[in-house]
Amino acid sequence: MTVPRLLAATTATGLGLTLLAFASAVPVAYHPQAAARLRLSWSARPERIEVCRQLSAEEQAQREEHMRQRMECVGGFASYALVVEVDGRAIGETVVHGAGLRHDRPLYVLRDFPVPPGEHRLRVRLTRREKTDDDAAAFAEAVVPDADTGLYAGRAQREAAERARRARAAIPPELTLDTLVRLVPRQVALVTFNAERRVLELHGGGGTVGDVLVP
Amino acid sequence: MRLLQRLFRRLLTGLDAVLTRLYGWQRNPIHQAGTVAVAMLLVLLATGLYLVLYYRVGSPAASVARLAADPWLGGWMRTLHRYASDLFVIAAGLHALRMFAQDRSWGPRTLAWMSGLFLFGAGLVCAWTGFVLAWDSFGERLALEGGRLLDLLPLFSEPLSRIFAGDGPVPSAFFFVNLFIHIALPLGLGVGLWLHVSRLARPVLLPPRRLMWAIIGALTLASVLLPAPLGPAADALRLAAFTPIDLVVAWWLPISERLPAGVAWAGSLLLVLPALLVPRLTRRPREARWAPSTVDPRLCTGCNQCPQDCPWEAITMVTRDDGSPTLVARVDPAHCVSCGICAGSCAPMGVGPPGRRGRDQLAELREITLPALVMAGTLPTIAVCCSQTPATHRSALRAHGAHVHLVSCAGNLHSSVIEFFIRHGAPGVIACGCPPRDCVGREGPKWLHERLFNDREAELQPRVDRRRVGTATLAPGDLDGTVAAYERFARQLAALAPPVSERDVELDTLCDPVPLEETAK
Repeated sequence: MTVPRLLAATTATGLGLTLLAFASAVPVAYHPQAAARLRLSWSARPERIEVCRQLSAEEQAQREEHMRQRMECVGGFASYALVVEVDGRAIGETVVHGAGLRHDRPLYVLRDFPVPPGEHRLRVRLTRREKTDDDAAAFAEAVVPDADTGLYAGRAQREAAERARRARAAIPPELTLDTLVRLVPRQVALVTFNAERRVLELHGGGGTVGDVLVP
Repeated sequence: MRLLQRLFRRLLTGLDAVLTRLYGWQRNPIHQAGTVAVAMLLVLLATGLYLVLYYRVGSPAASVARLAADPWLGGWMRTLHRYASDLFVIAAGLHALRMFAQDRSWGPRTLAWMSGLFLFGAGLVCAWTGFVLAWDSFGERLALEGGRLLDLLPLFSEPLSRIFAGDGPVPSAFFFVNLFIHIALPLGLGVGLWLHVSRLARPVLLPPRRLMWAIIGALTLASVLLPAPLGPAADALRLAAFTPIDLVVAWWLPISERLPAGVAWAGSLLLVLPALLVPRLTRRPREARWAPSTVDPRLCTGCNQCPQDCPWEAITMVTRDDGSPTLVARVDPAHCVSCGICAGSCAPMGVGPPGRRGRDQLAELREITLPALVMAGTLPTIAVCCSQTPATHRSALRAHGAHVHLVSCAGNLHSSVIEFFIRHGAPGVIACGCPPRDCVGREGPKWLHERLFNDREAELQPRVDRRRVGTATLAPGDLDGTVAAYERFARQLAALAPPVSERDVELDTLCDPVPLEETAK
């Protein structure tokens, strides 16, 4: 290899490597400078809507002993209307079902809305669409503690406890967040469901978030 | 598709020429694209083993930031890992493009093409998971896009994207799964690589040692001098204005993000499907296809040379049907790419693709080439060129007074052809092949040299004056080298006595077919 060729090859290799280093970390625009976002993200169990009736003693006697439930319930899972308003203007309206083909999985909400930076009045409402008088608590009240004896003692209480647990785990029939939000550029304000407190909450990402007006 | 092949061939020939001018054909990296990709896999394995020791799935961004900040080892190891992955993608992509442009993607090469696509795809997925593991703003951007695309498929009851929403920390399980894929896929790459070369005899997996260490050394130096920047740690509740993107691996990301997920999927299918269909779309029509080699059992002596020379393991030796004790060669047409190298390996000229066997080559000389040359006067110096060699080089040889005689591959040339020319009075014969790592037949120049100068079957007979025989490498971009090699050869010939022409040279009748029943007597 001649010296000029060696120099040319070295220069070309250096240039190639510099190009490789540059191409491996090119700054590419992602979000506009003056952008902010409202994000709704949560997951919760939908309420189970059931019509229950108490089985008579005759009906129970016709069943195998281990199949003798006091209550027989039919129904499905609730769906919810989600409305998002910013400064009184609806920016998102949708119906939320439980996931899965039979909508029996937990429902989820994951929506992003571009919102200009600044102070806004934010109102998020999640309302159950189905009307029902059915109430798991009422079912619990109907349970007679000593209804079952022997091998099946306490079954009625267990059934009631399970229903009550499911009812507690389900999302409430109505959730509302009405608040002021102050967004700085490139901030994401996050609305999520607090399963412990059973309310919608607003979280900011470094900017200031507003006070909850109606929790 | 043919148009696309021609376009890529033109582009790659141009690049090939530039790189040959810079590095010489012996060190041209484009000829080593496939092996460079494998070498980069090894670098990735070595650096990856180090990085995984310090990676924490519980605090991904912090552990990578610690590595990046380590000035002694971690910083440049991480950068080397990244640059090696980029070079892997570039080299594997170039290798695939070369195979496509050189029409080496169909027929018996289909398995290599398809497994190569798998390797390339798996490499990209591996790179994707690797960038996500770093969990900087680029990793987050890749994860978000991956989540968005996967959420369109009915895979998860809850969208994957929700774990990046910011209502909780991204679970360690996500990084664990990424790390698992990132480590498990290279094991799959090993199997894919085995499949990729499974139909090759003597597969070359690594570049020449000096070139490999030069590349690794240059990459290491670049890693020390130009460390790859790490973006700010991922933050779901902060919109990044800019992210440093690795455009080699994720050039598609800014485009994909702007498209609805369905359209992005359709676009990627539009890219992948034609690639998967390349073996079908580039397959030559039956009438234009070179037929696979055949064996004339009457001529086959069972010497076992053609199976040794075949670069595709398409020939095996089997027992004869007639109970004769010698073996006979059998060609598997499903494996034969019709490179014709077996034709050059068979001393009795009994094997090879129809029309390109040794005796076919001699018949063409006797009936067409020789009469034409004799009519023109005395025989000039003969330059036997591979049909793949650039036209400019052939023109230059003609301009220097040589007669250019084409063969399908240098390895297809039977040594009797050279003897034929010289015994008919040609001053000399120079056999010109492609650069060894650019040979479409894989091993043409290697076997040609062995047959001419190292007595490999079918060797050039001792009665031929070796001083009148030469070889040269015709590489695109090295016209000066071609001309210099020819001029050197011409000077060597000028120092010799004038050639003597013999009459009635009948080389092929030395090995005329003999009925098997006669050989048994």
